[in-house]
Amino acid sequence: MSDLWSRIEPLLAGVERPVRYIDSEWGASHDDASYRVALVYPDVYEIGMANQALQILYGRFGALEDVTAERVFVPWKDMADAMRAADVPLFTLESCRPVADCDLVGITLPYELTYQNILEALDLAGIPLRSCDRTDDDPLIVGGGPCAFNPEPVAPFFDAILIGDGEDAVADIVAAHRSAKAQGASRAEILRALARVQGVYVPSLYEPRVSDGIFVGTTALEGAPAIVHKRVLPDLDSYRAPTCTVVPFMDVVHDRVGVEVLRGCARGCRFCQAGMVYRPVRERSADSIVRDATAALQCTGYDDVSLTSLSTADHSQLEEVLRRLTRRLEGTGVTVSLPSLRVDAFSVQVARLLGGGKKTGLTFAPEAGTQRLRDVINKNVTEEDLLRTVTQAFSAGWRRVKLYFMIGLPTETDEDIAGIGELVGRVFRAAREVTPPGERGGMRVAVSVSTFVPKAHTPFQWEAQIPLDEVRRRQAVLRDSMPGKGVDLSYHDSDVSFLEGVLSRGGREVADVIEAAWRGGARFDAWTEEFKPSRWSLAFEETGVDPGGIANRARRVDEPLPWDHISAGVSRAYLRIERDNAFAARTTADCTFDGCTGCGVCGSSRGANILAGDRRG
Amino acid sequence: MIGVGETTFRLRVRFRKADRLRYLSHLEVVHSCERAARRAGLPYAVTQGFSPHMKLAFGPALPVGTAGLGEYLDLWLRSYVPSEQAFQALRSASAAGLAPVKVKYIAEREPSLGSALTIAKYEVVLEGGEALREGLRGSFSAIIAEGELAVDHKGKQKVFELASTLPKEPDVSTSGERTTVGLTVRIGERGSLRPEALVTAALTRGALDGRIASVTRTELLVEEDGSWRDPL
Repeated sequence: MSDLWSRIEPLLAGVERPVRYIDSEWGASHDDASYRVALVYPDVYEIGMANQALQILYGRFGALEDVTAERVFVPWKDMADAMRAADVPLFTLESCRPVADCDLVGITLPYELTYQNILEALDLAGIPLRSCDRTDDDPLIVGGGPCAFNPEPVAPFFDAILIGDGEDAVADIVAAHRSAKAQGASRAEILRALARVQGVYVPSLYEPRVSDGIFVGTTALEGAPAIVHKRVLPDLDSYRAPTCTVVPFMDVVHDRVGVEVLRGCARGCRFCQAGMVYRPVRERSADSIVRDATAALQCTGYDDVSLTSLSTADHSQLEEVLRRLTRRLEGTGVTVSLPSLRVDAFSVQVARLLGGGKKTGLTFAPEAGTQRLRDVINKNVTEEDLLRTVTQAFSAGWRRVKLYFMIGLPTETDEDIAGIGELVGRVFRAAREVTPPGERGGMRVAVSVSTFVPKAHTPFQWEAQIPLDEVRRRQAVLRDSMPGKGVDLSYHDSDVSFLEGVLSRGGREVADVIEAAWRGGARFDAWTEEFKPSRWSLAFEETGVDPGGIANRARRVDEPLPWDHISAGVSRAYLRIERDNAFAARTTADCTFDGCTGCGVCGSSRGANILAGDRRG
Repeated sequence: MIGVGETTFRLRVRFRKADRLRYLSHLEVVHSCERAARRAGLPYAVTQGFSPHMKLAFGPALPVGTAGLGEYLDLWLRSYVPSEQAFQALRSASAAGLAPVKVKYIAEREPSLGSALTIAKYEVVLEGGEALREGLRGSFSAIIAEGELAVDHKGKQKVFELASTLPKEPDVSTSGERTTVGLTVRIGERGSLRPEALVTAALTRGALDGRIASVTRTELLVEEDGSWRDPL
């Protein structure tokens, strides 16, 4: 075993936050099995350690017979530079082993702007950046996570990419890899064996076809399925949430233990990729949530447990769960938190129950300023709902709300944008009415506005993202419509949204851009102060890829798309119907409250909605 | 919820912050000790108010990178747990590098750790042999003879009166190519002299060649009527 600690330690005195690199946390496991997995999160420690999927997979890999899982984060720039200067390769935290010595390297794809950090990690590890350049001596590089649903921009960097839920798939991947190795298989044979694992996409077995410079489809080579169907864990209750997670010493971004209470969301917001790709809806039962949350708090010692999901307030037994947990935790100083709230009275009740005396601020996401546009995007929230909810919150003592909106949504007009300002004004006046005069000075409505980025596998996957100059014009319209006093307006950086749009809907040609940008110095672009649009402009120019042609171009609905060979379960026909509904401003109900809407997910290996009780609307 | 001070028990814990965990910041130490107390299942007392939290108090903070072999915290419990049992529970819930060494119940009327612990002993290990030892001895004598030391810390200058700050002469010894400086520092009301600052000043003054390899706070003591005692 090659322990690099004696070479790492001398570097720590010269870097910020050495705690990122020292391991030794409560819950870290130090097995020494024959099959080693390095789990890489493509950002620094304090971001990666807050990622629940990483903790789940750490536990799932570690539980396999004779498998050791270890964590790897991308060293911050100062440490990466020190490592390169001292010739220290990227190492796993637990055993300080070179990542290149592992059998399998799993890399999460959490967000498009972390893509260049994948290359930073591979390069620091001394592993060839592209699958085609790797040899039998290199580890198997496997991706997975939210961005895997359009894997093409990063496809050349991976040997395999898992589409969908990883809980059960990791065992199949390890088994296929091991058995192929035991038979003395070559790297190419190992990749073909992996392609037979359900949900596993092996990019080298698929060829994008281009005719006259236009993408015309992807061909599966021999031995690879024409369509890769996502993996689905049919029942969340069939496994326990990880309760003895690794507890960081460092203050990480979400410093609490998370228990996933449900997966999937069927509300059907047409802009939301997560809502489309994580179907069906699978709730855990109240008993298992309470059991796992209690065990997790005991095992980790955290003072906060977060009940996580895309829409926790939708859980049919949430009230029971909260009642049982808050009763158990009374007098301990330990709290329960929810990641997001719905725009309804129930959410305010829940917030009152959880917050105790704390009323720090509530966040709601109306997304659009007019009812017409909210119907287009199927955000089933009315102005009345919002005003009632805010009134209740301010009556209950809250003085701050945060509202999320988007600009650039399909069919948006200047009236819709002005509608945001008008809606915010009405929210402020409604809140003011129920706030005692002496406390009105402390009232704050924070308005956060991002630019809509069309995503793959959504009804808006064919739409054009609005170009940068149009973003700026619409931002100006918004500013003019916004009431000034008591309202704090902030924008998402439009250059970031543009790049996100290119990286999320691009094809395989975008891999060259990512590599060129990284070679030009792009690292940690998800960090506002590190993001330099100029590096990307140069990368587009160098590779001859037209970013506007990817982000700002409307596609024909019958046009081949780079992610057509990846299936999230929701049928293309359903997406088209939903697109038509959007343009007709017709809403579609949530199938967990009303009847089936025919999205195509349920059935076969993808299971069906599992609800723990009746949902309340 | 039980009000602190009514029926609570004040458990003083001596702990170490060592090995790789010397790279923790003080805030990280505080949070990690709180989590260990919760994992240990101890009946910790909770403060009242808007944001109830564990009632816990620490001695003087250690900087990132400095180890401590005898650090202290006071933890208030709602009910009595035999001290040996509390110690074992805490120990089995702690990482090896940040772990309890000894515990003892102390009276509520005893002064807080922050005001009681005024004497700190350090060991600074440097790379360098006998020449360094002799050089350092000379430099320390010269610095002490001046009576004052001005130290820049984060852009501010602080002046320490050495007669009060250094109640004992620094002790320098060498073993092979390692030189160890033993320092005793009095923690004043306006902060304490960082041992690296004094050693660095000595290196600069004597134009000496020596790199600081490690800094360890070995003991914290209570000063009472001119004599020093263990806080437990």
